[in-house]
Amino acid sequence: MSNPVPLLAARDLVKAHGSTEALRGASVELRAGEILAVTGASGSGKSTLLHCLAGIVRPDAGSVTYGGERLDRLPEKRLSELRRTEFGVVFQFGQLIPELTALDNVALPLLLAGTSREDAHGRAGEWLERLGVRGQAELRPGGMSGGQAQRTSLARALVTGPKVVFADEPTGALDSLASEQVMTALVHTARESGTAVLLITHDAQVAAYADREVRLSDGTVSALEVTA
Amino acid sequence: MSSIGSVSSTGMLRSLRTDLRMAWRLTRGSDRQEWWRMTLTALGAALATGIALAAVTLGSLRGSHRVPVGNELLDEPGTRAGVILALLLLLIPVLGFLGQCARIGAVHRDRRLAALRLAGATPWQVRRIAALETGPACLLGSVSATVVSVVALLRLWDEPTALAWTGVALVAVGVPVLGAAASAVALRRVVASPLGWVRRLRPRTGRGPGLLFLGAFLLTGAVALATVTHTSTGTTGRGYGKTPLMVSGLVVAVGAGAVWLAGATARGVGRLLARRARTASTLIAAERLRDDPWAAARTHAAVLLVTVVGTGFVGVRQVMLADLHGMRRDGHLGMDMGYYTTGLDLTAAAILVALAIVLSALAVGTAEALATRRRGLAALTAAGVPRTVLGRALLLETALPLLPAVALAGTGGMAIGVWYAAITTEYTTPSVPYAALLVPLAVYAACLLAAATSLPLLRRSLHPAELRYA
Repeated sequence: MSNPVPLLAARDLVKAHGSTEALRGASVELRAGEILAVTGASGSGKSTLLHCLAGIVRPDAGSVTYGGERLDRLPEKRLSELRRTEFGVVFQFGQLIPELTALDNVALPLLLAGTSREDAHGRAGEWLERLGVRGQAELRPGGMSGGQAQRTSLARALVTGPKVVFADEPTGALDSLASEQVMTALVHTARESGTAVLLITHDAQVAAYADREVRLSDGTVSALEVTA
Repeated sequence: MSSIGSVSSTGMLRSLRTDLRMAWRLTRGSDRQEWWRMTLTALGAALATGIALAAVTLGSLRGSHRVPVGNELLDEPGTRAGVILALLLLLIPVLGFLGQCARIGAVHRDRRLAALRLAGATPWQVRRIAALETGPACLLGSVSATVVSVVALLRLWDEPTALAWTGVALVAVGVPVLGAAASAVALRRVVASPLGWVRRLRPRTGRGPGLLFLGAFLLTGAVALATVTHTSTGTTGRGYGKTPLMVSGLVVAVGAGAVWLAGATARGVGRLLARRARTASTLIAAERLRDDPWAAARTHAAVLLVTVVGTGFVGVRQVMLADLHGMRRDGHLGMDMGYYTTGLDLTAAAILVALAIVLSALAVGTAEALATRRRGLAALTAAGVPRTVLGRALLLETALPLLPAVALAGTGGMAIGVWYAAITTEYTTPSVPYAALLVPLAVYAACLLAAATSLPLLRRSLHPAELRYA
């Protein structure tokens, strides 16, 4: 917590899905290099908060600031660019493209940014190696185990050297051993590269990996707790 | 300035190359369903190109010509205009078929492209990749049909005019461009959010497809009208010019009514049966109809339209043949009987071709709907629902909303036929052609058969392994 200026800050976020209010004035800050866990019961608004912070969903009211820029006011093109270069996203499942091999999936953000195929595959291969799934590089997601697929997703989120990784229940579909492998890999690489992590989870064991924990209840932050 | 322009164009080319590579990788890694989509799209594009090329080539002829095919039907502007009109009308089921092909794997493709957005692809990039995935299939079909058509054209026509060549070029380029553009437009919902893959698709109202259908039909109708008016100038009387247009208008009105009735029936029957169903298959079918009542209307729109045309034609044919025999008996027949019957037979053949195309599209659509729902169906099987129950539910989903819609299309088509016969016959007393009612019965049976063709696919889709993948 040496840097007091937040890298990413949300103030008084309000977001409704139809008549259901998912967020009701939630505020949260993420500092550079910090691992922040957002916990709460199912339906408390955790995922909606992550979507707003990652610029995937625009809030109905309130603000999201990233590096001095108002994310909630940025055009779609700039948001896409941020997701490609400075943000990495890991969900519970589904973000890998079934038609592409693990190597192509990891190289995807680089290829979309115009990096040459050789460079993109080279860097993707390095990340698969670091996360222990180099042997699965030519497999498609359907042929991998849940843990392998999730580590591949993690490699894709980290391949561009992002400043923030958004992880929404990254271990939600995994057994305890695979969960531990994924969380260890995420925390280790984030610490090594100084990447901030916003971790959404309902699992206390997963939240224990974070520097700080924020609890959401009915769309508002109900408690702050330093865990490390 | 020139260096900025050159850098910008180099960047664009590089970006296009990247997107092309991405589209190729996605295509290469696709499953069998995606390859089916591309094969059928190429086939549909080839059909559309072939028919459009025949229409524009005939449209480029002016005045009387000796055409070596068609039993003299293509020699005079008046009869030629009728053939062009028939060709343009034939384009409608072909476009419907292409539309069905585009829907194969649509939900899966939507998710995939939303995943691309999540990885940082811009909305424009996603549209371009989608267009590059569909464009080559359309291009392949279009090029194949153009090559065959040009060879045939050069054999039949010594020196095709510049107008004919212009038409050929426009169609050859237009079909793949339109196909690619349509696939990009179809992705507007996914492009809006990278979270498209986790969102449940809401049941659509009938308004969107209805407007699209109406728009496409009006466009084709306008082109047909312009072509017929232009080609048949000075050869037909005022009264004869208006009657086909009125018939076309009535056909569209009855067809649209039947499509609406299919949707409305699905909604009503779905709500009613969901409350009162006593068997599992009826309950599953009712819930499905209630969940997406316009699915049946969308899938069967082209079938219903062809039913109206087919029933009307059978009635008209019966009355016209009787009239022709009367004319021959009285010695008022201007040409050989074969001249008139060839026209009728060609129209019958065109309607049969159209029916075959729309039934193929229906089979494709039913299989697609099944593939889209395979996870839900696999979950039902895993929960112990027997396969026969699901098969019956699938057939009920087709049979229930289609029954009143086909009945309306059939009676409407017959009424149009009777009316047309009444105002055009002079040598015989018009009678009600009850034989025409066999057409809706046959169409209804064929629709159920087309739905039944997807049952083998149902068996494969029900494997609990389908639950493994999102």
